[in-house]
Amino acid sequence: MGEVIVITSGKGGVGKTTTTANLGTGLALLGKRVVMVDTDIGLRNLDVVLGLENRIVYDLVDVVEGRCRLKQALIKDKRLENLYLLPANQTRDKTAVTRHQMMDLCDQLKEDFDFVLIDCPAGIEMGFKNAIAGAEKAVVVTTPEVAAVRDADRIIGLLEAAEMEAPRLIINRVRPDMVRRGDMMDIDDMLEILAIDLLGVVPEDEMIVVSTNKGEPAILDKRSRAGQAYHNISRRLLGEEVPLLNLEGNEGIVAKLRKLFGLG
Amino acid sequence: MPSGGTLALGKSSCGPGHTLLVRRTVRSGQRIDYPGNMVIMGDVNPGGEVVAGGHVIVMGALKGIVHAGAEGDEGAVVIAFDLRPTQLRIAGYIARPPDVEDKPSRQPEIARVQDGTVIIERYQPGGERRYLNSGNTTKEEEHDG
Repeated sequence: MGEVIVITSGKGGVGKTTTTANLGTGLALLGKRVVMVDTDIGLRNLDVVLGLENRIVYDLVDVVEGRCRLKQALIKDKRLENLYLLPANQTRDKTAVTRHQMMDLCDQLKEDFDFVLIDCPAGIEMGFKNAIAGAEKAVVVTTPEVAAVRDADRIIGLLEAAEMEAPRLIINRVRPDMVRRGDMMDIDDMLEILAIDLLGVVPEDEMIVVSTNKGEPAILDKRSRAGQAYHNISRRLLGEEVPLLNLEGNEGIVAKLRKLFGLG
Repeated sequence: MPSGGTLALGKSSCGPGHTLLVRRTVRSGQRIDYPGNMVIMGDVNPGGEVVAGGHVIVMGALKGIVHAGAEGDEGAVVIAFDLRPTQLRIAGYIARPPDVEDKPSRQPEIARVQDGTVIIERYQPGGERRYLNSGNTTKEEEHDG
């Protein structure tokens, strides 16, 4: 019996879909059978980020409305054998599925998969309620911005009210140089406000833009710093103890030398 | 038409032999369903969907999903000035572009079913008479979105 994990944030644009795509791919690389479910009906993106858009025939709404069997709607990833996507519908809206239908769907999926990752839409309305309905665990994604942290706090409150297991936090798009200068909230500030366990920190990485546009998750690119962070997070999801990525790793040689001589 | 909705016209005003003229671009999340032929004066963007019982002609770039002959007519064709669909369906056949992008052809192309597969070739004016069923083009209708 698999785990159902919802990936949510409240605020839009903080990286829920990118996180879902990378963690799904990461868990599959570690040998798990994974399905990712896009619940952002009407504004689907996960298929594009994974480069699977042109394979879609049936979607989530077709499954819950009985137009096809669940197996027919699952799209196998073009790179990994044990990774699947259940895409959202693009022409309907969030009211097209109900909480009960989502719960049934998650129950069916977890019989067949080790991990069911649910990509939640932004907001706290029906789409969010549907997305969390069938989940047992939650991962909250935020960025080091006051507005994103505020929304993450709201979401954590709603998840607690829904009696979900304590959510874990991913802090995305961190820029170590800005944190060092005091221009960006640092990780401890955020953890103090949100008071939940930290699952990982993902550095800002230009390669994410390239990989998202190309439909290839960054985790498949060994050179990507964000990809490494996602790889570590995937291992933590499997219960491994992995130290946090050294965010200073990409600093210049001058800074390294300064540090070496105690000037940093 | 609602921004994310489906436009499906009642059977009373249209039929398999009719043609719908759409004078706008079909954007992501929009879907146009019509039992007859469809001519689109605009683009079909990625994420947009056009479904017709007959032929589909796009006077622009076709980058979304298109389904011609949706009721099972394997003689239906898709013609577009710039034919680069996410997915192209004719009757029960589904085709998608190769994963490695090839060069855009920069000229109108036609897709049709031949010997059980969807083939795409350069569109030659007049050449369509070989496969277009003339019975499908008897009456015209207009729809402004």
